[in-house]
Amino acid sequence: MSLKRITKELNDLGRDPPTSCSAGPVGDDLYHWQASIMGPPDSPYAGGVFFLSIHFPTDYPFKPPKISFTTKIYHPNINANGNICLDILKDQWSPALTISKVLLSICSLLTDANPDDPLVPEIAHIYKTDRSKYEATAKEWTKKYAV
Amino acid sequence: MGYTDTLGADTDEDDDESLDLDFESDSDVVDDLDDQSFSPDCGSDVNDSSDTSSFGNDVTRSTFLEYDSKMDNFNPSSGDGTYDSDGIPKLQYNCLTTDQIYGLMVARLDRIQPIFQLSHGDIIVMLQKYAWSEERLLEDWTEDQENVLIACGLKVEKVLDGPRGIQTHSDFLCHICCESNKQKTFRLECGHEYCVECYEHYIKDKVPEGKIITCMSCSLALKNSDIDDILGDSSSLTLMKSSIKGFIQKHSKHYRWCPFVDCNCIIQISNISSLAEFPRLHLSPYVVCENQHRFCFKCGLEVHAPGDCHVAEQWVKLAQLECANLNWVLKNTKECPKCGVNIEKNGGCNHMTCQSCGYQFCWICEQCWTGHGGGFYECTHFKKDDKQGSADTKNSLRKYTFYYKLFSEHENSVKLDWTLGLTVEQKVKALQENMGISWIETQFLSESIRALIDGRTVLKWSFPVAYYADPSHNLTKIFVDNQALLVSAVEDLSKLLQIKEPQNIIDKKLEFYNRARFVQTRGKALAGCGRDLLCKGICVPFK
Repeated sequence: MSLKRITKELNDLGRDPPTSCSAGPVGDDLYHWQASIMGPPDSPYAGGVFFLSIHFPTDYPFKPPKISFTTKIYHPNINANGNICLDILKDQWSPALTISKVLLSICSLLTDANPDDPLVPEIAHIYKTDRSKYEATAKEWTKKYAV
Repeated sequence: MGYTDTLGADTDEDDDESLDLDFESDSDVVDDLDDQSFSPDCGSDVNDSSDTSSFGNDVTRSTFLEYDSKMDNFNPSSGDGTYDSDGIPKLQYNCLTTDQIYGLMVARLDRIQPIFQLSHGDIIVMLQKYAWSEERLLEDWTEDQENVLIACGLKVEKVLDGPRGIQTHSDFLCHICCESNKQKTFRLECGHEYCVECYEHYIKDKVPEGKIITCMSCSLALKNSDIDDILGDSSSLTLMKSSIKGFIQKHSKHYRWCPFVDCNCIIQISNISSLAEFPRLHLSPYVVCENQHRFCFKCGLEVHAPGDCHVAEQWVKLAQLECANLNWVLKNTKECPKCGVNIEKNGGCNHMTCQSCGYQFCWICEQCWTGHGGGFYECTHFKKDDKQGSADTKNSLRKYTFYYKLFSEHENSVKLDWTLGLTVEQKVKALQENMGISWIETQFLSESIRALIDGRTVLKWSFPVAYYADPSHNLTKIFVDNQALLVSAVEDLSKLLQIKEPQNIIDKKLEFYNRARFVQTRGKALAGCGRDLLCKGICVPFK
């Protein structure tokens, strides 16, 4: 059942690709995808291209896909392993959500970080106390790892 | 130990809101509750009267543990003061199950329905959202009804006035599983429609969480009737039970799960204020569930008299801490054969020199190195049996090990006595059937086994008290003497219970009573003595 749904999502992505993101299977395995997100222009990540890996569980869409950044990124809700702290990837997941919607949510997370529920408290602290320092570091990392 | 702490950590979220289940303020619900109130003497009332004639009332009712004496005044309506004759605070509580708690919640629906003017299903969803706190719900409701409805998923902005519930189609394409040719679908007023199979899968995953289940696409809530329609009859009850579990966890001040394995009882304390009295008196609020499991409401451990909760807590902590230490010491060290100091072998050579007393010995055979036969790395002696360490109380680890061994020995005995209790039960049955005697006549056996288990538990928990007590004090010596007396009383009773021949058992009825009573009085004396040590500051649990 999950295969049919994943195939449909893949077709939909091909027919109507969302702006600034793309996604597709890595090889023959439809359960393992790679995605890319363009850094939003109004964020310190602008100009960077960030890659993510997506693993679908066998009972997708009833369980959320596992998504993590493979490109290093300086963000309060994304840690050094690329794990993302996002509610819709955890308890707020709904079977009606799609990869395309999730990727758009990640895009908006890049624009508006959530420092009150941080995955990396150090970055969140800088984000809250010294915004310009945070932006400078994020820009630097983007230049270094994502361009 | 014979219990598991199923409720690991108490949630601190427990706010001081007055609870929905504070039935004392609701006269008609009190009636409901009284029916379910747990009476520890249930079924044995007849017995009490028959025994009183021969042995006096205190024989059949074990009197040495606090809860029993409280029980005499258990019924809230019969008690007038807050203390009983022994100066022990009275505890009023009920033993419930999640089903019963949910039943009581539902019973209240009719009363609050006029306030909301909504269906029962809607009110249940709201209560679920508010963790079954009627008061908080009503507070928000009077402030902003619209907001409450939206927050609970009973109202969404965009509503297509379509039908609600299960629909039938000839060919439906479900956007969740992407299968076409679906005939049965489900939808709420929001118009998001998916096939019933997907909804089944979705709901089954969500039920154990106990939270409101919403439409897969928006926040509109599924009611219990919807869930039952999709999954079949009374599936929503499982969801409700999960939700009640969350409620209990949140209100750990008033509710506690029975810590015994596979016991689903929940104790609800109704006079929460008296709970605060116990620590001051070095007592613990012991409760007993419907399955006769007795435990401490405060710390969730089994009955731990004569120790109070503090002693028990420190002892358990120490046991966890020392367990690792002790294992390491036993595994990696040997005691110096001469001075008894623990020595860790940090190299390959078997020629050991004790840093403490300078004694030289062989690591393998633990014999003196001088005149040690064979080569340096070969030991020709066989290892002798481990020497019995003398009870050198100066060594704290030894002292601890000494008490811990006693503690765990009695713990094992309690476990064995449980098994014995089951055998006794069978004996009782056999007696009843074979000898044609009444149930009342064989009751002394169950009471004896109860006395035995209680006696052993008191004994077991007296060792932590002894461990923490000042050994030089006269009262500690009395306490230790009392321990010895209880040990012999318990062993005598234990011996008696080993009798296999049914006729012999009946013949010894009087002896059973006397021994059981002796155990009870000794147990009470020991518990009192231990409490004395705590109250007078002779026994101070340290970290």
